[in-house]
Amino acid sequence: MQAELAAYSSQSVRPRRLAVAEGLAGLLALFLLIAAVVPQFLAPGDPLAIDPLAAFSPPTFAHGFGTDESGRDIYTRVVHGTQYSLVIGLAATAIGLGLGVVLGTLAGMLGPVVDFTVNRFLEVLFAFPGLLLALLFILVFGPGVATATIAVGLSTAPGYARIIRAQLIAVRGAAFVEAATVLGRTRWQILARHILPNTLAPLFVLATLGVGQAIVWAATLSYLGLGAEPPTAEWGAMLSAGRTYITSAWWMSFFPGVFIVLTAVTATVLGRSIDRRMRHA
Amino acid sequence: MPAQLAPITTATRTTRALGALVGLVTVGLLVAGCTPTSSNDPVGEPRSSGTLTYASGDAEPNCLDPHVGGNFPQGMISAQYLESLVSRDSSGQIIPWLAESWTPSGDGLTWDFTLRGDVTFTDGTVFDAAAVQANIAHLQDPETLSSTGYLALGKVARVEAVSPTVVRFTLTEPDSALLESLSQVWLAMESPAALERSQDENCATPVGTGPFVVESWVKQNAITLVRNENYVSPPEDAAHSGPAYLDKVIWRFIPDSASRYAALQSGEVDVIDNAQPDTIVQAKQSDSIEQLDSPRPGASNRIELNSGQAPFNDVRVREAFIRSANVDAAVSSLFQGTATRSYSALSSVETMGVSNDALFDYAPSAAEELLDAAGWSETDAAGYRVKDGVRLSVEFPVSTNQSIPAEQSVFEQIQATAKETGFEVKLAPMDLSSWYAALATNDYDAVSAPYTKVGPDVLRILYHSDSIVPAPSGYFANLAQVNDPEIDELLTTAAQTADEKERTSLYAEAQERILEGFYILPLYDQQNHYLLRNDVVGLRTLPTVAVPTLYDAWLNR
Repeated sequence: MQAELAAYSSQSVRPRRLAVAEGLAGLLALFLLIAAVVPQFLAPGDPLAIDPLAAFSPPTFAHGFGTDESGRDIYTRVVHGTQYSLVIGLAATAIGLGLGVVLGTLAGMLGPVVDFTVNRFLEVLFAFPGLLLALLFILVFGPGVATATIAVGLSTAPGYARIIRAQLIAVRGAAFVEAATVLGRTRWQILARHILPNTLAPLFVLATLGVGQAIVWAATLSYLGLGAEPPTAEWGAMLSAGRTYITSAWWMSFFPGVFIVLTAVTATVLGRSIDRRMRHA
Repeated sequence: MPAQLAPITTATRTTRALGALVGLVTVGLLVAGCTPTSSNDPVGEPRSSGTLTYASGDAEPNCLDPHVGGNFPQGMISAQYLESLVSRDSSGQIIPWLAESWTPSGDGLTWDFTLRGDVTFTDGTVFDAAAVQANIAHLQDPETLSSTGYLALGKVARVEAVSPTVVRFTLTEPDSALLESLSQVWLAMESPAALERSQDENCATPVGTGPFVVESWVKQNAITLVRNENYVSPPEDAAHSGPAYLDKVIWRFIPDSASRYAALQSGEVDVIDNAQPDTIVQAKQSDSIEQLDSPRPGASNRIELNSGQAPFNDVRVREAFIRSANVDAAVSSLFQGTATRSYSALSSVETMGVSNDALFDYAPSAAEELLDAAGWSETDAAGYRVKDGVRLSVEFPVSTNQSIPAEQSVFEQIQATAKETGFEVKLAPMDLSSWYAALATNDYDAVSAPYTKVGPDVLRILYHSDSIVPAPSGYFANLAQVNDPEIDELLTTAAQTADEKERTSLYAEAQERILEGFYILPLYDQQNHYLLRNDVVGLRTLPTVAVPTLYDAWLNR
């Protein structure tokens, strides 16, 4: 009886808690989307406007998140910085995913020789931690927002490629693929009509989770001075600038940090939620 | 029962309080009695032991021999193990060091230096006239890739040993800055036997006559120096004689200013340089940390505008840029009173410096008129000025190794205020080697390059057209690319003039011309703030180029 009750309550509470988390994540995602597309709507000021006399102001009514060493408003900068983080996160994921799909498909479709070659290549890439791969890329092509985006994208590609290949091989043997083969469809028709659609659905979930990761990585690169350059209102760069004054002006690094965390968490919660819905469906 | 106990407790408390009060008064009296000796001189006799850890915020040198290249970080470390022929005291007088005395000839073309006879290098080689000859030859050899020392010795034609203790310098023309040049750590004396080795070897363990010896160098980590037990040659203004007090010095590199200060606070390191203004302000409230401020001589810290190419080849555009930059607001907000605005090409410690604040007013409307007059009259969608379809852009490479964060923020504020007038300032933070490369390929319109030299002759190095030609290291010092025959003439004559009064007026005239040509935007003195644990005693900077010297330093712990 008690065991039954426990099972019952845990079943009913968990979805509700999740629903709250999903709701919050949804709201945050909406806020971030508005911040990225029409930042003036949330923060009408200029994120680069300086006001030396108001430098190092702690959070007050006039400056909700305080000001930085040149008197720039942190709230305005954080809101305007959303576009960099989201664009970098989305673009990097798109690059990683695109490359992953190509590599994974090649490996899964073109027979054992290609499969072997691509797999060994991926294993070499896997030997380096993703961030290290990104650093290497930046070392060769120089710092900047564009290179940072490509670097993060490239370093996530091997993971996607692996999953696509596994998914392809699993789907390849399915009954409906055999049926299509019997009906005389060509290999590429089968790939386009039957295999890829069944592969890409789980990938979409992964990509949503990946956006969060990519945003964190992009911020990391900017923090290291390899991505966006100061005084650009990019979260990682702001965090880095704030670090110098962390003992005297905590708000300079706190608020960009909070936004990086919230964005990554939002992407993760949404990714999980999509995942669960798909499984149930 | 509890009620009975209560009065006793109260009585006990009173007694205790009384006892405490008596104790306090006694301690107070004792302290008062000690005051004259303890507050002014809380330290006793110097103790000869201990390891001092120094943390530098500058870039780690590629070479510990300051003859090679010759930048400030090299100067700071090598002042611990190398010594120069002469030094300078805090009043600016040249004083003997490895050379006991010197006499110039009447025409100023030959100089005889009499050397100390009792000095040996730490590898056992004797310091004599031949050693001086070998050092000058090493500096002038293009293969050494010297820049600072090479430029300073531009007029030295020949060096010969008259006797083991007398060395003669023969010049191509009189050089009123010869002694000032020789006092610098970049022209310090190294063991000729050590110089014979390959450059890689000599860069790793240069051998001098100084109070410490380079023991080891773990790259990206630390340089270990140990005491030279046979040391005999401190300069006249040192506080003691004989070997140094410290057993060992660990010279570390912590480029991040917040970590550097945290390491000092925790006692992990004893001295830091390149202190950020906010930490200097914080340290003033701390009992355990003290400050040493020692502005560098030579040039002020300034932004040089590349007059050799568009857009700054037009004086009106240069003036417009300078008038559009609100430097005062930036300096007062970011340096919080730890730096004073400069209006001079020279450091405030240079007595021949000329200051002209009227030229550097923040005047955005005047700047706009100047740009209109210079043909940059159109404005594009982003608000930047345009001429013939080209945007008014200023490439500004910033060496993150040579600028503390507060200084980089000054540049950002200049970028923001210049934008209002229509300049697009492109700040590009980069490491030291990329920065040198950008300068060498003329890939800059504005740049802030520190240059330290003893005396006003730094003007010749920075603004004479000869300095547009790169030194063997590839570096050219005239980054504003000033090419004005009148300035050349003034600087050349001044450098040949021994008479102080005449020299002063020639340099004054040259400086006026440089300032009025709007080649440079002075910011402040080259900042040189050190923070140290309060139990580090006797640390000072050499009055020559304001590098720290640990010779007199000891640990009161």
